[in-house]
Amino acid sequence: MKKFFSLLFIAALAILLLYVVSNMPGMGEEDVPTRQNVIPRYLENAEEETGTENVITGVILNYRGYDTMGEVTVIFTGLAAVIAIIGRERRGKNYAYTDLSEIASSVIVRIAIIFLAPLILLFSFYTILHGDVSPGGGFQGGAIIGASLIIFTTIFGLWESTSRIPQKLRFPLEGAALLSFFSVGAIGIIGGGNFLTYTLPRLTTSLQPAVRTWLTLLVEIGIGVGGAMVFISILFALLREEGGVVGY
Amino acid sequence: MDWVINLVLIALLIATAVSAILARDLLAAVIIFSCYSMIMALMWQRLQAPDLAFTEAAVGAGVTTVFFVITIFKTRRKEER
Repeated sequence: MKKFFSLLFIAALAILLLYVVSNMPGMGEEDVPTRQNVIPRYLENAEEETGTENVITGVILNYRGYDTMGEVTVIFTGLAAVIAIIGRERRGKNYAYTDLSEIASSVIVRIAIIFLAPLILLFSFYTILHGDVSPGGGFQGGAIIGASLIIFTTIFGLWESTSRIPQKLRFPLEGAALLSFFSVGAIGIIGGGNFLTYTLPRLTTSLQPAVRTWLTLLVEIGIGVGGAMVFISILFALLREEGGVVGY
Repeated sequence: MDWVINLVLIALLIATAVSAILARDLLAAVIIFSCYSMIMALMWQRLQAPDLAFTEAAVGAGVTTVFFVITIFKTRRKEER
């Protein structure tokens, strides 16, 4: 009986939702409200107002800068929660499965990773620095840095990768995303302007576009580095295992 | 031709989503979920959102899958009935 009522409820909800969806304007149609006000404004003025050729980067970092700042805060809070529950890895006391395993990883895989990981890292830097021109940007690049470190760690173990990226380096860089966002935002306030306007006050107007581009790039790099460090720290915290001896 | 690709992608998306829920083996569920993310990335690309496709492929198919796999190895692999 309970099941019957659940099914009835789900069916009613499905019909209601499908009815609402059928009344929604179709994707990409001419008479959608956003297409008449917001989208033309963004498409026409984005390059001039935000100083980025890629409109999406302009929307994410400039028009909707507050949204992105909130997301960055959420990611940072996620890291804080993971660290609070699981705890950071301790070098010399914690090891990954790969360190403790008696079977050495395959030579082919090792050589492949040695060749691949630097290329993935290079691609991630390209994604971050080229984000204002082509698809991609800070967060995507940061995730790719994280991915390259993940494949390195799964093959070579926690001991090797913590010697590449020690905790001392990660600790100050984890907040880079928030820090760069807030400091760039605060630069706007100091001169009497608004938060996150990407402008330096008391500067001739001919220089402002260049300043805007460079400040956007600064935020982009901050998000990339901060996001990457957050991913790597979560990975190390999840991977760590107590005790054991390295080098079977 | 366009709608054929869309239809195949949506069918694969629904199939992977359902089988990720139904899979009893949690490791299998995670891998299927990673496939779901990859198909979703293709969908974003077809909807002309390359930035989103990028994020979905890197975070959804890459990073979270690894986090899930590590978590499964730390706990138990099979779902208890």
